[in-house]
Amino acid sequence: MFDVVDKALDLALAQGADEAEVYASTSTSRRIKVYGGEVEELTAARHKGVGVRVVSGGAAGYAYSSDTAPSALETTAARALEHARVSDHDPHVALADPGSAPPQLDIFDERLTRATDEQKIDIALALERAALGHDKRVKLVEDTMYADDDTEVFLASSKGVRGTYRENSCFLFAYVLAEQDGQVDTGLSYSIGRDISELQPQACGREAAQRACDLLGGRQCPSMKATVVLDPFVAASFIGVLSAALTADAVQKGRSLFAALEGKEVAGAGVNLCDDGLRPDGLASAPFDGEGTSCRRTPLIQGGVLTGFLYDVYTARKAGRQSTGNGLRSSYRSMPQVRPTNLIVEGAATPLADVIAGIEHGVLVSSAVGVHSGANPVSGEFSVGINGRLIEAGRLSTAVREVTLAGDIISMLKGIVAFGDDARWIPGGSIFTPSIVIEGMSIGGA
Amino acid sequence: MCGGPSNLLRVTLPALEAALLEAVVARALGSGGDFAEVFVEDSVGLGMRLEDGKVEQTSGGHEYGAAVRLNSGDRTYYAYTDEVDEAGLFEAATAVAAGLRSGAAGATTKLGAERSEPGRHPVQVPPETVPIVRKRDLLHAADDVARGSSPLVGQVIAGYSEGRQRVLIANSLGDVVRDDRTRVRFIVTVIARRDGIIQTGYQTIGGSAGFEILDEKAVTETAVKAAGKAVIMLDARPAPMGAMPVVLANGFGGTLFHEACGHGLEADAIAKGASIYAGRMGELVAAPIVNAYDDGSLVNGWGSAAFDDEGVPTRKTMVIEEGRLCSYLYDRLRARSAGAEPTGNGRRQSFRHVPLPRMTTTCIAPGDATPEAIIAATAHGFYAKSLAGGQVEPASGNFVFGVSEGYLIEKGKVTTPLRGATLVGNGIDILKQIDMIAADFDVKSGICGKDGQGVPVGTGQATLRIRQMTVGGTG
Repeated sequence: MFDVVDKALDLALAQGADEAEVYASTSTSRRIKVYGGEVEELTAARHKGVGVRVVSGGAAGYAYSSDTAPSALETTAARALEHARVSDHDPHVALADPGSAPPQLDIFDERLTRATDEQKIDIALALERAALGHDKRVKLVEDTMYADDDTEVFLASSKGVRGTYRENSCFLFAYVLAEQDGQVDTGLSYSIGRDISELQPQACGREAAQRACDLLGGRQCPSMKATVVLDPFVAASFIGVLSAALTADAVQKGRSLFAALEGKEVAGAGVNLCDDGLRPDGLASAPFDGEGTSCRRTPLIQGGVLTGFLYDVYTARKAGRQSTGNGLRSSYRSMPQVRPTNLIVEGAATPLADVIAGIEHGVLVSSAVGVHSGANPVSGEFSVGINGRLIEAGRLSTAVREVTLAGDIISMLKGIVAFGDDARWIPGGSIFTPSIVIEGMSIGGA
Repeated sequence: MCGGPSNLLRVTLPALEAALLEAVVARALGSGGDFAEVFVEDSVGLGMRLEDGKVEQTSGGHEYGAAVRLNSGDRTYYAYTDEVDEAGLFEAATAVAAGLRSGAAGATTKLGAERSEPGRHPVQVPPETVPIVRKRDLLHAADDVARGSSPLVGQVIAGYSEGRQRVLIANSLGDVVRDDRTRVRFIVTVIARRDGIIQTGYQTIGGSAGFEILDEKAVTETAVKAAGKAVIMLDARPAPMGAMPVVLANGFGGTLFHEACGHGLEADAIAKGASIYAGRMGELVAAPIVNAYDDGSLVNGWGSAAFDDEGVPTRKTMVIEEGRLCSYLYDRLRARSAGAEPTGNGRRQSFRHVPLPRMTTTCIAPGDATPEAIIAATAHGFYAKSLAGGQVEPASGNFVFGVSEGYLIEKGKVTTPLRGATLVGNGIDILKQIDMIAADFDVKSGICGKDGQGVPVGTGQATLRIRQMTVGGTG
């Protein structure tokens, strides 16, 4: 694809761009869903495309195309220039300067390229069987999915950036419905890897089933202030929301609740959060970001103190800092945006059983509905619907449902007093987190 | 050259003659199956965004791709490619056939006459013919108006998007359908701040229509409304917690029906018994005053098209009549399995996505009360003016909505603004508790996500009251 990239680069410069950058990708993917012991859906895909970013007259413009023929590249370059002309001049707009050689990362596993559809189908079927067989209250496994992706990225710019990498990954997902006395509850789980041999269909299926069964028999509980334990799935969805406020883009545009808090205490003293684009087991890892800046590890919260934000080239120039390698693209169709890579929550781990044994009165939250709609990333206020189990006198007791958890992000972070020993990857946002224990949360119920 | 150069729209080229499409369908069915289809898409789009007073991200592009789908019983084999030529299409068809390998070739019907319905959703001013600077100027106009409306406005984010998607669908039933969809949308988000309190207001205009729906007046109104919401919410106090009567305003309030009920009526959830509405056809699932429908044929509706993404004409489907469940929303696959007619709800985000039963514009039909009378009849309650969005578990019917603009109702009057509220409940419970519906019907546009696919949808509703609902607040 470098021939396509170089051609597009030449065309953009020939048409009058001051600077140009071309990102191209090719990928193949499989998605297999099974249901009732049979294949429900098998999708085989192959795609490619190119995105052209130009800087012209101090403004940036972007255009993309799935067609990489020379005539399409010419049109795409012309559109990028037209888009730059209509965008407002901004002195901080720039492309990345070439840096030192990007790190070598172990993010491609040759073995996955040899896995057959039959093997992948068998893993998905094993996952469904594991979930169905786990508990007689499991009604059905609504979604059982295997998916993989093999992507090669090519990037070059007129500033001299030039790089390529290939990465692959696969994952399993199960969404289970359990039923008891006419009440239905749901549970889900994932398993991720870079080769099918790393996937754990048995454990994943059993866990999804158990998570659904744990919620059966749930009732509203009275409204109260209580200690809550967010399990890793729920913790990850909250971290996903607050991570948007940790980008320099949100800070500079006045839509981050952390804007004026750099160097200040924003969380419990034992809380550490970092962005790490280099973890080989993290599915968002890459040698360089969507602008060619090398990925790295960036501490965001250390010992409860906000230590920094995530930057791309533009926001870094605006703030007089260095890009942290967080100018990411979701595909060739998007220009770089400031986003986290892998987010890692770290703190002293306490065995989860000990955590629960130490709680007199609380709720173990294993599902939160509406985190993305019920949480305001600007003000930090949130109110979400939760399901989970009551904790009474150090023991898990009955399930709770139709209750809300409300508060604001900073108070919640400051209320964090402990972490479980169950840290794991939750895909979606690629977040590695244990269960999080928070004191003084408002539960809204009957 | 603005928007989409027309010479790129190659769906119209003779390279995709009926003979080729027929051969691809036949190849897909080569080792068995009940149904095969080719879906070709040619899309151009443009997106512009203003923030901090600057138009900073202008992006657009072109995508041309095709998918081949094979169904055998309830199974789907799907392959897509962006090589839309004979080799690419046959490769995709061979891939889906290899997935099935059942033996005898499946039946196909010779392709019939091509159908299309230009003008079902009239486009007076194709957006690609409007100079791009005019679009930029509208973004700046929204920014100026919003900032000028109050000194408390701290940030304005305005977005413009346009898209033209041409599709060609041919299948083993002999259907050949072309559809040409143009959509434009304008979104204004205003952030107001005072003494450390931050509130946001959001307003949108969108349609399956041309640039004619966007002029200075429409854009100005949108910006003023968004700013007004953000500013008024600065005075909000934390919403109370607990169960109380809830009055949902028209327009955005329709998200309630979309989330609480609509997803559970989509036939994929029904087929798996993963919906509270499964097996309840004909039963009372709502208060008798409730009539509800999905309408993919609503003229110029944001969620509308002439045909769905399987080539089925869109239509109005009653789903609840006088409180009784009377239809689900079907795509072809689920309709075939259930022995029902497809309802024009087979939709996909693009050629990269397998079609699923999806809502289009989903509405609770208006009643004859007035919004004022409904408020006046409520001694104490919560008035939800705008909903931020919501989520539902179709299996249990449990849902949550964020309320972006809410007020206390005291002694039959709307009083203090309340912030941080969510509405929590269960689909069937809530629909059964609707006890008043007004006549002020309005439709709002949004993007609905399901199984990783986003599609444009509308929600239509008049002001209505729910006798009792759980409000989750921070106060």
